[in-house]
Formats: sequence, structure tokens, C-alpha cells
Amino acid sequence: MELICLGHFVLSHNPEVWILGELMLNCSWGGVGGDSIHRIHPALECHSLVVSLSSFLLRFNYRSTHHLTSNGFYEFLNWFDERAWYPLGRIVGGTVYPGLMVTAGLIHYVLNLLHMTVHIRDVCVFLAPIFSGLTAISTFLLTRELWNQGAGLLAACFIAIVPGYISRSVAGSFDNEGIAIFALQFTYYLWVKSVKTGSVFWTIGCCLSYFYMVSAWGGYVFIINLIPLHVFVLLLMQRYSRRVYIAYSTFYIVGLVLSMQIPFVGFQPIRTSEHMAAAGVFALLQAYAFLQYLKDRLTKQEFQTLFFLGVSLAAGVVFLTVIYLTYTGKFSLSLMRYLCPPPRYAKIHIPIIASVSEHQPTTWVSFFFDLHILVCTFPAGLWFCIKNINDERVFVALYAISAVYFAGVMVRLMLTLTPVVCMLSAIAFSSVFEHYLGDDQKKDKEGLGPNIKSIVTMLMLMLLMMFAVHCTWVTSNAYSSPSVVLASYNHDGSRNILDDFREAYYWLRQNTDEHARVMSWWDYGYQIAGMANRTTLVDNNTWNNSHIALVGKAMSSNESAAYQIMQSLDVDYVLIIFGGVIGYSGDDINKFLWMVRIAEGEHPKDIRESDYFTPQGEFRVDKAGSPTLLNCLMYKMSYYRFGEMQLDFRTPPGFDRTRNAEIGNKDIKFKHLEEAFTSEHWLVRIYKVKNEGSSRTSSFLRKARS
Amino acid sequence: MSRTLICFAVSCWALLFTAGLLCTQTAEGSLVNEEVKRTVDLSTHLAKITTEVLLSNPGRSTVNSFVVALEPELAPHVLRPFPTHITQAERQLVVFQGNHYLYSPYLTTSQTTRVRLASKNVESYTKLGNPSKSDEIIEFGPFQDIPPFSQDPMKIHYENNSPFLTISSITRTIEVSHWGNIAVEETIDLRHTGAFLKGPFSRYDYQRQSDSGISSIKSFKTILPASAQDVYYRDEIGNISTSHLLVLEDAVEVEVRPRFPLFGGWKTHYIIGYNLPSYEYLYTLGDQYALKMRLVDHVYDDQVIDHLTVKIILPEGARNIHLDTPYQIDREPDQLHYTYLDTFGRPVLVATKSNLVEQHIQDVVIHYTFNKILMLQEPLLVVGAFYIMFFTVIIYVRLDFSITKDPAAEVRMKVASITEQVLTLVNKRLGLYRHMNDVVNRYKQSRDTGALNGGRKTMEAEHRTLTNDISSLQARLKVEGSDLADKVAEVQKLDSQVKELVCRSCQEAERLVAGKVKKEAYIENEKSLASKRQELINRIDSLLDAL
Repeated sequence: MELICLGHFVLSHNPEVWILGELMLNCSWGGVGGDSIHRIHPALECHSLVVSLSSFLLRFNYRSTHHLTSNGFYEFLNWFDERAWYPLGRIVGGTVYPGLMVTAGLIHYVLNLLHMTVHIRDVCVFLAPIFSGLTAISTFLLTRELWNQGAGLLAACFIAIVPGYISRSVAGSFDNEGIAIFALQFTYYLWVKSVKTGSVFWTIGCCLSYFYMVSAWGGYVFIINLIPLHVFVLLLMQRYSRRVYIAYSTFYIVGLVLSMQIPFVGFQPIRTSEHMAAAGVFALLQAYAFLQYLKDRLTKQEFQTLFFLGVSLAAGVVFLTVIYLTYTGKFSLSLMRYLCPPPRYAKIHIPIIASVSEHQPTTWVSFFFDLHILVCTFPAGLWFCIKNINDERVFVALYAISAVYFAGVMVRLMLTLTPVVCMLSAIAFSSVFEHYLGDDQKKDKEGLGPNIKSIVTMLMLMLLMMFAVHCTWVTSNAYSSPSVVLASYNHDGSRNILDDFREAYYWLRQNTDEHARVMSWWDYGYQIAGMANRTTLVDNNTWNNSHIALVGKAMSSNESAAYQIMQSLDVDYVLIIFGGVIGYSGDDINKFLWMVRIAEGEHPKDIRESDYFTPQGEFRVDKAGSPTLLNCLMYKMSYYRFGEMQLDFRTPPGFDRTRNAEIGNKDIKFKHLEEAFTSEHWLVRIYKVKNEGSSRTSSFLRKARS
Repeated sequence: MSRTLICFAVSCWALLFTAGLLCTQTAEGSLVNEEVKRTVDLSTHLAKITTEVLLSNPGRSTVNSFVVALEPELAPHVLRPFPTHITQAERQLVVFQGNHYLYSPYLTTSQTTRVRLASKNVESYTKLGNPSKSDEIIEFGPFQDIPPFSQDPMKIHYENNSPFLTISSITRTIEVSHWGNIAVEETIDLRHTGAFLKGPFSRYDYQRQSDSGISSIKSFKTILPASAQDVYYRDEIGNISTSHLLVLEDAVEVEVRPRFPLFGGWKTHYIIGYNLPSYEYLYTLGDQYALKMRLVDHVYDDQVIDHLTVKIILPEGARNIHLDTPYQIDREPDQLHYTYLDTFGRPVLVATKSNLVEQHIQDVVIHYTFNKILMLQEPLLVVGAFYIMFFTVIIYVRLDFSITKDPAAEVRMKVASITEQVLTLVNKRLGLYRHMNDVVNRYKQSRDTGALNGGRKTMEAEHRTLTNDISSLQARLKVEGSDLADKVAEVQKLDSQVKELVCRSCQEAERLVAGKVKKEAYIENEKSLASKRQELINRIDSLLDAL
């Protein structure tokens, strides 16, 4: 197993990391993508630019871990971050899953107790690779329980290199999912073990693992629905046994109590609809067990009468209770946000969710890109499991089917599919190898000749080899470059590093007032808070849609209207991303329509999306573009003085490389803003809001008060 | 009358000559500055004043000391930007305020002052004694017979676009390891102390016009010791990717480029660190050690440091620490530093000093004693830790910590161990038969009846003990209630048949040797016996496999 962990570790660090040495190591921990590309690119292209919502979270996770280690656990739970969501602030302690931070903090604490002076940053950087090693081990254990040792080893090998999981476990990916997949697999292992043995010991272990999962990731809802589903299906299949009864009853009660200890979860497990399935199955299981008990004692006739009476009574009670609770508002039929946000619904009603590329439905290309050959072989494994069904194989079948559904709903949930695909593919490969590499002494019943055997084996090995090559390629190309640093390659193959993001953030950190408030689109909120250490208005924790809409409105209004909004929000600096000089497609102009849409959602009178299109319905930045667009704040800030700039002799001055157009408004003058800083390649532009009003000390608060 | 030529320099940024240099033996009036040549170099952000004095002693008594005085109001940062705020396109003008005369406790007979500026553009300058100006040079004087402690304000307002880079604070940490490495890390706060940038910063102008932001700082060179290795240059948010490293013969040059160009009033912060081999800096004699390192090192040419903190971390167990400094520094209370495998902490010397310039780059010597035995402490600690770990594992594996007893498992284990023993014994017994076979074959050739009988006897004896052992094990299996006992009994039964066959083949051989049977008949017979025996042995083997 060490080998596998090691292998993962080495792969997680692609060769380039070492080539660039310190550089990458240090910036990989800040692996924060500058581009959440809202436009739906083909997934392949997206991946090469590293699109992930959670990569923005890294900064925040690191910051809160830092807060945890320097101020202690209780202070962390009570942390009110006044530097985010100005002027509202944000209660951090109660609104995060603390598992990740506590894990990193604990490791850091123990190491420092032993006088290992490891910086918390280094702990954070290496946490994901370490946990991916643990994931490989738990995948091995789980597959061994399901099939046999050989399949377990193959599954561990697969999960160690599969791109779908590497994306979350490269060094520097300090993310909830990094540790959550380990917790998920381990919980499932312990669950299978408990169902097999019916021992309370294993079930308590399962509950503890579940507790860790709850503390780490919102995806715990997956567990609390899958395990009841498993039990329910076992009941339907007449596979009820005392083992299942012991395992589920213990798991439900202890798991429920433990999960409610996490502040962010609180009373949700007994209130929201996504936890109700577990409660229902629990009740059902008790009833079933009771009936089983009665069955032994009653005659058939008596039993039947009692059964019908009992069932109708129970159904009525449950129905009335749900009606009552929903009516009194104690219980909300909320959507299963994490597991199945219906994309169509979200796209229409919540543009902010739809605007994140990770919430887009998964494309076929992405399945292949993330899983390669495994996506083709795992149905075979599933078939093997169903053919030789037993209690735990029911579980893995359900796991596979539900995970496939969720992965289809949204790219981000590809992550939950990956482990089960690895396990089932391993089972498929293992069975095939067992069959074709079997002992020669045993007589072949089907009469397979040695030639067929060796050809099949060779083919299988070829597939596995190609899989390994693909994984290495993806890891080194798509998932390893720290996205806060962009790299371009010259004709001679030498590498140019565009470090504009950090240049600008560091400028903010060093050369603006400590309490300066920086307005930017929410994508960059965590980055600004983390790297520039300045107060932000909105960030990646998109909890307040109207506040984001206000920022969107400021960006899409003309300068004077925007100035009023900015004054009311006490904005000192405005930060935007502009890729027109280097041809970077993830910039703010490309995201601009989302800002307009989100603003329109809250302020339909002032902002209308149609104003930003040409009469032909095109979004253009050149002369033909709509005048509203050409005079809005975002446009002006992006293209200020860009009209004078001639990048190339073949193109006219003011030629935008990203959108391949000569800009339409070259004469941009500001009244209320001034350029404060522009990074070397113009990627980040920061404007200072001129302070004209004599007293503007938190006018927003004054307004709010009056 | 004797004359001496004395030359000294004052960098006006910092007071190089401290009060300690002023001799107690003041002999005012006894000396005369006969000819003074002052050179004021204002071409950088530092004012460097060099004074050449031809000293004469008109008195009769010998004078063995000479006093250098400095203006009481002399302070750091004598070059002040004026105007204090400029736009990006403007040039930086600075004002120098100084003294026309040499500030000296002695009478000066004749003096000239030559001022070197950074550029031809001079706004204004004091016109004492009708100075002559040519290009970048203004010459004052000669002034005659100046009384002691004369002061006359000199003021020059001129263009100086050289970057006004100041290190507002630097913390230099030197960590000594007796395993051969010295790690140096400098945490530096930089500030552009020239005229503040007024209004916007335009990247467009900065890129397209060569004279835009002319006084800003893009990069500078830091010279590190030639043996410096593993150089890193970073800040709080990671590695700074804009640096270049050049390894020269006598130094390592780092081109330090801050993340962004520094304009007036802007600041930045970074960390630069490297490793040095200790044999170049650490001297030892027995238990005595001496570390000779620069107290402060080069950061950029004509550097100015407002505040310096030096931390020297010595190995754990260093005692009798004594510091030899080239100039006075302020010691702060020692600290303890804990890092890998430390138990009682490493001593840390902390020293601070304000206002330093390039001339302060000098060696400091730290003497201390260190018992070499202590070098073994850390490896032993690791060995001990591993020892404890393995020992715990050994204990854990050997002992039973379960809180419940599982009788079935216990019986199973007992039976397994008994079967194991049975297996070895049975195999041994089968070995005996093979050996007997050899003996018989040998007997057929040598016809030595004694050897045959001896062999038979030993076989019989050993066979008996083995069979008895197996029987006792069989009894134990029965006690445990295992059904394996029956199988063992069967094995025993088969074995007695085998034994019989072996004895018969033995007798047959005897008869053959005695000539009682014909050779062909014997071979036939022997064949059937052997095949019977093989069959029995196979059955025993299959039974053993089942065990």
C-alpha cells in the first residue's frame, strides 16, 4: 500500500513542480484559479484552464486554518469576519465545515508539539496528497470487502492515478473534497463491514467516520441518503437480517447525534427534507423488525389483519405529521442543494449558481477525460456484482447508479462518481484477469487456447497502460499548474510566467490603506482577502445574492450611477481582470453578462440584459456594440487607455486579443475614478475611487440606520 | 611643526562616527586645519562627504590625537525631495542642506568644497563665495581662516532621479548547524523614500515612454556570498517569480525584482534566504567554536538601513557565548528557539542597530563552547523513538489485548498448532522410510549385515518414539474435540502398513543376499512392494493435505 500512496504522491506533484522548484511549490498552495469561465466551453478546454469553484475556496480555507492555528478552536468557532461582505460581515465559524481546518490545524499542532517547525502553509499544501493516500487505502479495503484482495489492489491503483480524483488531490489543493473523499470511502467501508458482521463495534466506527465526513463536506448528504437506500433495497429484496437491523439502528441514532454537533449542520438532520429518507427508513426498519417478531408468535390469519391495520395507520400518521410540520414551518421541503440542483431550475431562477462552470451538466468528453478507460469498464464490474449479488454488492450497485446520476447533473459531482468507478472497474479487470490468467492445471471447460488467453491479457494490459499514460498526461498538463500563475510558452519552448494576479494583490497589500475596501466581482473575493488582505464586498461564499447584485449593478451602470453605488458602499478601490492584452479568456468582460443578469434579477428597472446586446442580439465590444455596454463602468475600466495601445503591427491600436475585435470606445475618460495600478500584462487593473464627498464615513451604515 | 594628511568620509545618512571616537584628550587650539578639501557627492540618494585635511601642529607639545566633530543637527535622510509629491511624468527634485565649512574644533586656514550632483539641472544653490558651476559640479571656496565650529547653511535644490530606496527594517536570521550548514534568511521591508507619486499610475505610459516614472525602482542587485546555495526569494503569498540568479566566481548575484515597480511612497516586503557551508565561517578548536559572519550583508549598492535586527541561532547546547562586534550594537535578551528534534532549545542572540550604510558590512565573531558529544543527542533521539515504536508493536502483536475471550478461536488455534506438530512428525517418519530404503540398497551392494541390522534398529527406535508422539498428539486432539483426531488415527493405521512393507522389503533383500531368492523374482517382488508403498504414502499425503 505504501507504494500506491507514494505513487499518488509522486504523480500529484507533476515533474514541472520540481523543475520550477520553489516557485511552483510556493505558488501551488495558492493554486487559485483566476478563471471561472462562465461560458460553457467544451470540458476539455475548461480543464486545461483549471476551472473550479473550489479552487477559489482554497485561499479562504487557508486563511481560516491560519486563523484557527493562531487563535485557537473556540475563537475560530466564534469568528466573525468583518473583512468580507463589507458592510455586512460574515459569521465564519458557524457557516463552514470545519473538518478541513481542524485536520490541518491538528497536524500542525502535533508536529509543533514535537518541535517540528513546519509552517501551517506546508501542512495545508501536503494535506491533500496525504489524504489521497488514505483514500487509496480505504478504497482497497472497501473493494476487498466487496470482491477480493486482487480487485482491491487494482482499485487502489486506479484511484491513485485517476484524473477525476487527482484534480482534487494535487499538492496545494487545500480543499474540503480532498479529505471528504477519504471520509466517504472509509465510511462506506465501515458500513459494509458493519452490515457483514452486524457488530456494534464496526458500526460505531462507521458513525465516527461519518461524523468526520459531516465535519468536512456538505456531500455527507450523499451518505445519509445512500445508506438508508441500501437498507431499504435490502428490505425489498427480502434480505433483512439481524445484522442489518443492528447496523442501521446504531448508525442512524449515533450518526444523527454526532452530525448535529457540527455548528453549521445544527438541527438540519431533523428538519430538512434531504435527511428525511434516513428517518423514514429507520422507522420502517423498526416496524419491519417488529413484524418479524410478531410473525413468529402469531398465526398467519392474525398476522395479515394486523399487518394491514398497522401499515395503514403508520402511513396516515406519517402523512399527517409531515403536513403539520411543513405547515408550521418546522420542516422545509428544501431542495437537495448539494446533490441535485435541478440545472434547469437553477439556470432560470438563480443565475449565480448557473454562472459557475462547475455547476454545469457534465459533458461526455469530461467523463472520458476524468475517467478514461474506466468509464467503459465499470458497467462490466457492475454486472459482475449484480450477477453474484449479496448484501454489500447491493450497496455498491446503488452507489454506482446514484453517483452516475449526480455526476451527470453537475460537473463538480464527478468527484463522487470517481471512487465507485475505480472499484467497479477494478472488479471487472480482476475478474477478467482471473479468468484468463488462471491456473493452467485446472482444465479449461470452455477450452480456451493459450493464444486467446495471451491475446486477451495483452489487450487488457494495453488498456491499463494507456490509462496510466492518460492519467500522467492529464495530471501534468491540466491539474498541476497553479492557476494563479499563468504560463505561456515561447516559440523555442521556454516558459514565460505571467504573475500578474499576485503582482496586483501584493500591491494592494502593501500600498493601500489597511482598511481599504476593494470592490470586485465575487470570483476574486477570497483571493483579495487572502493575498491582498483587504476588505472585500462580495466573495466566493455567495450567500447574499442581493449584495452581489448590487456589485453587478455598479459594474454594469454608467460611471456616475456606479459612483453613487460605490459611495454608498464605501468603496475605495475597484479591481477587475482584463485579458485583452494577452488573450486571457477568463476575464471580466467575458463574465460580464452574468453580472448583468444577476443585477437584473434584483434591479430589473435599472438594468436590462437586452441593453447590452446589439439589435441583432450579439454581445460585441467593437464599434457595433450597444452604447450602454460601451459606456458602462466595466467596459470603461477594462479598456481605459487601451485604445492607444498597439500590440501588433498587423492590428490596429486597441485590438482586443481575447475577443479579436478593435474596441469601440477608445476615448475613455473618468470623472470619479483614477487608475491606481495595472499589472505588467494588464491582467489586473485597479482603480481608485476619488473621494469627493467631504464626509463619507460609512454612509451606507448611516443610510441603513435612517 | 608637523603636518599630517587625514582623510575621512561621512555618509550623511548615518552617523558613522559615534561619540565614542571623540577622544578624551581634547587639545583644542593646538592643531590647525591647514588645507581642507571637501567633496560632497550628491549623485545618489546618499550624501557622501569626503574630507581631506592637511593638519598642522603649530605648538611645541606633541599631539597624539585629533578630534573629528560632526554637526549636532546632522541627521539621516539629508536629501529631501522637494516637491514632496510628483506625478508619474515629473522628475524628482531634491534639496540638500549642509554646511559650507568643515565643522571642526580647530581653526581652518583654507578650505575648498566640491559638490557633485546627479544631473546638470539645478534649481538653485547658495551662492556663498561665488561658487563656480560646470555641468554636475559646483565648486565653493576657497574660504580662508575659518574659526572653529563654523557653520553656514549650504542649500542645493537639484534634480536627482536616482531611486531613493530605503530598507525600513531588516531582520537577518543566521542559523548555525554543526552538521555543516548555515542558513541565512533576511526579511526585508523596502520603501521608496523619494517624492511620493501623485495621481494615477499609468501602466501604458510606464511601458511606452522611457522617461515615465524615471525615479521608480524596477529591480536591483543583491550580492550574496559565493558559496550561497538554495537561494529563495519570496513573500507572504509565495515565490516571487521575477528574480534571476547569476552565479559568479566570487559571488552570487541575485537580480531582485519586486513584484511591482516601486514608485515614491510605495513599499514592499520580501524574504530572501540561502544556505552556506559552515566550514567557511565556523572555526573550531577542541570544544571552542568561533563563528565569523557578516553582521549585515549587501542588499543593494549604497544601501541605507533604518533598522536592523540580527538573530543568531546557535546549536542546542552552546554555552559561554561571547560576541565580538566591529561597532557598537544593542543586545537584546537572548531567546530560545525550538526546531527539529530540540529538547531544551537553541540559544538565540538578538541584536539591533539603527541607521546603517554599506560601510557597516563587517564581520562579527561569536565565540562559544559546545560539547561535541551533544552532536549524538539528536540521532540517538531518533533511534530511541524508533526503538520505542518497534517495541510497542512487538508488545502489541505478542500480547492479547482483547476484552472478550473467544473459546472457539482459542480451540481453533490450539488445534492448528497440534496439527502443525503432527504434520512435522509424520513427515519425519516418512523420511525414516526413505532413509531405510537407502540403507537396504547400500546393503545389497556391500552385503554388510551388521550395517543393515544397525540401520534397522535405529529406524525401529526412532519410529517408535515418533509414533508415540503422534499418538499423544492424537489424544490431545481428541480432548479438544476436533474431528481431525480421526484423520490422524487413519494416518497412523496407514503408516503401520507402510512400516510393514518397509520391513518386508528389508527381509526380501536379506533373502536375496543370502541367495534364497532369484534376482528376477526379487525385482518383481520389490516392484510390487514399492508400488504398494507409494500408494499408501500418497494416501497419507492426501490425508495430510486435508489436515
